[in-house]
Amino acid sequence: MSDIAISTPQAQMTRTHSAVGSLRIVQTACILVIALVIVSPLFMLLIASLKDDRFQILADMGSFRAFWVSDPTFANFAEVGNFSGELAFGRYLLNSLIILALTVGSGLIVNSMAGFVLAWGSVRGRALILSLVIALYVIPQESIIMPLVIMVSRAGMTDTFAVQIVPWIASPLYIFLFYQFFAQLPKELVEAAQIDGASIFRIYRSIFLPLSLPALATVSILMGIESWNQYLWPILVTQTDYARPIAVAIATFFGQDSIYWDRAMAASVLMMLPILALYLAFQRWFVSSFVGSAVKG
Amino acid sequence: MASVTIEQVRKQYGAVPVIQDVSIDIDDGEFVTLVGPSGCGKSTLLRMLAGLEDISGGEIRIGGRVVNDIAPKERDIAMVFQSYALYPHMTVAENMGFALKLKGQDKAAIQNRVKEAADILALGPLLDRLPRQLSGGQRQRVAMGRAIVRHPQVFLFDEPLSNLDAKLRVTMRAEIKDLHQRLKTTTVYVTHDQIEAMTMADRIVVMRGGVVEQIGRPLDLYDRPVNTFVATFIGSPAMNLFNGSIVDGRFVTDDGKALPLPPGYSGGAARTYGIRPEHLAIAESGIPVTVGVVEPTGAETHLVVKLGALDTTLVIRDRVDVRPGQSVAIAPDLAKIHLFSAQGARLN
Ligand SMILES: Nc1ncnc2c1ncn2[C@@H]1O[C@H](COP(=O)(O)OP(=O)(O)OP(=O)(O)O)[C@@H](O)[C@H]1O
Ligand SMILES: [Mg+2]
Repeated sequence: MSDIAISTPQAQMTRTHSAVGSLRIVQTACILVIALVIVSPLFMLLIASLKDDRFQILADMGSFRAFWVSDPTFANFAEVGNFSGELAFGRYLLNSLIILALTVGSGLIVNSMAGFVLAWGSVRGRALILSLVIALYVIPQESIIMPLVIMVSRAGMTDTFAVQIVPWIASPLYIFLFYQFFAQLPKELVEAAQIDGASIFRIYRSIFLPLSLPALATVSILMGIESWNQYLWPILVTQTDYARPIAVAIATFFGQDSIYWDRAMAASVLMMLPILALYLAFQRWFVSSFVGSAVKG
Repeated sequence: MASVTIEQVRKQYGAVPVIQDVSIDIDDGEFVTLVGPSGCGKSTLLRMLAGLEDISGGEIRIGGRVVNDIAPKERDIAMVFQSYALYPHMTVAENMGFALKLKGQDKAAIQNRVKEAADILALGPLLDRLPRQLSGGQRQRVAMGRAIVRHPQVFLFDEPLSNLDAKLRVTMRAEIKDLHQRLKTTTVYVTHDQIEAMTMADRIVVMRGGVVEQIGRPLDLYDRPVNTFVATFIGSPAMNLFNGSIVDGRFVTDDGKALPLPPGYSGGAARTYGIRPEHLAIAESGIPVTVGVVEPTGAETHLVVKLGALDTTLVIRDRVDVRPGQSVAIAPDLAKIHLFSAQGARLN
């Protein structure tokens, strides 16, 4: 009797185990295939950038040799990473980095301040302002771009760094994102700080900013990608190399008659690296269980 | 340290009055608890004292100074929240020192004050921890530490123990009281737990629906509640109340049971008769009742008996040998009877 009673659940357990096991295998296989599909072009790009002969690159495409390099060289990188010469992308890369750093840096401050004040400041017509912010978000960037171009050219701002930074600092999406993040923090935190003698700015700086690392990281990544990939706007407002970003430079490069595939690949790899670094640096803050301990007993 | 005067204070949200003409005088160094059922306005009143809510009318003075329009940080008060509201990203020491840092005190001075407070509260070994690395009781102590480092004029507590388990609550209750006896800082303490109020307070303010029902020392409230609300709110198990009227020198309940009146009582208007469970005893002769529930707690026995249709509670010091269903007689202590008018106001 007791034997049966014991063996039955065990048998069930084994069956469930093996069912779970085969499901796991199928899942893993699917994920592998998807990952392969996504990663292989990137891998191909990386391999090609390490090959010296641009005709060989073209010939290798479409065969497995596209995924293999026998004598890797960094010559392409040395050439495109330069600041002078026909194919020097170093300058554009630097331009893009400057634009990204200043946009994200000021964007974090401006948008988080706006979100904080909307969430905790004594603002008249808060609901109206919030719905305006959301309404602004619905308007696509492209639809206001022509009037904006006219505005900045009248203001004599074309072909500068500022024109590529200032218009994109304040963003309804990020204001709203910060607003939501701040609004869900407990009211007692603000009140305790008020009683401790903190001004509203001090509460923002010493309490809310340190607690909003996940939001700051998320906004940094999103804003960074957005800034890095800006294409239409810089085409319209830059005429010379002075402030031209790399996305635009690479595109014009591909429009030329003879394409140096080897260097184009190296330039593309270079363009990917900073944004990848940004992501890796901030992704660990994406999920944070930090704030829960503020109030829970 | 300072006295606190609340004079004719009102609060309304839109057209809804939440606090109505509340006046309380709190002496320098006094420990006052605000009690009342949920939603009666205790927190609102405390938050008005702290400066976290506007005052719709009346006046609040701290140490003789009118603070109606003074910001929280200028009132020289410290508050402990029910949720503790510790800053999650700061260590215990930083949490406690934050107010002093904002005042611009130098590092060494802050460290001294934090250490002093940590010694009082036995927080020394925890100073470098973050709030999330603390237990509930430790967080509670840190919240108190944050209040005491500032040497404020007044401590404000809003249900500081309600997130703790029952045993810890009793320990912390004693600890807060002990702290008050050492520091002698004027304290206003909100709770909805009447035992907490009774055991800790110099004086209790009982509130209901935004008005003060009674202010007094714990035992005065217990012995002479001014109305039926206070009578049932203070004391556990609650006072037994019977509705009826006086007929021929006895109180006759609505279902016809006769109860004895205090000797010499001559007012005729009593409509409610109150007697605390421990002032009823099983007697040779008295009011006949049927035993319903017997609950021995060890030290005493709680009996619920049927007096007519009404459940009546007795608390008996000795062990009694009665069983459910048994018929016994009970008698009230004649000196401990409470009589109330039709409006619920005390008559004797
Ligand atoms: N911001 C507000 N707007 C409108 N009504 C409010 C607001 N805050 C509180 N109230 C109302 O004021 C009344 C008193 O609230 P309060 O928080 O002071 O109660 P309390 O006595 O502390 O209750 P509890 O024991 O549940 O904490 C309640 O009826 C509540 O609904
Ligand atoms: Mg409350």
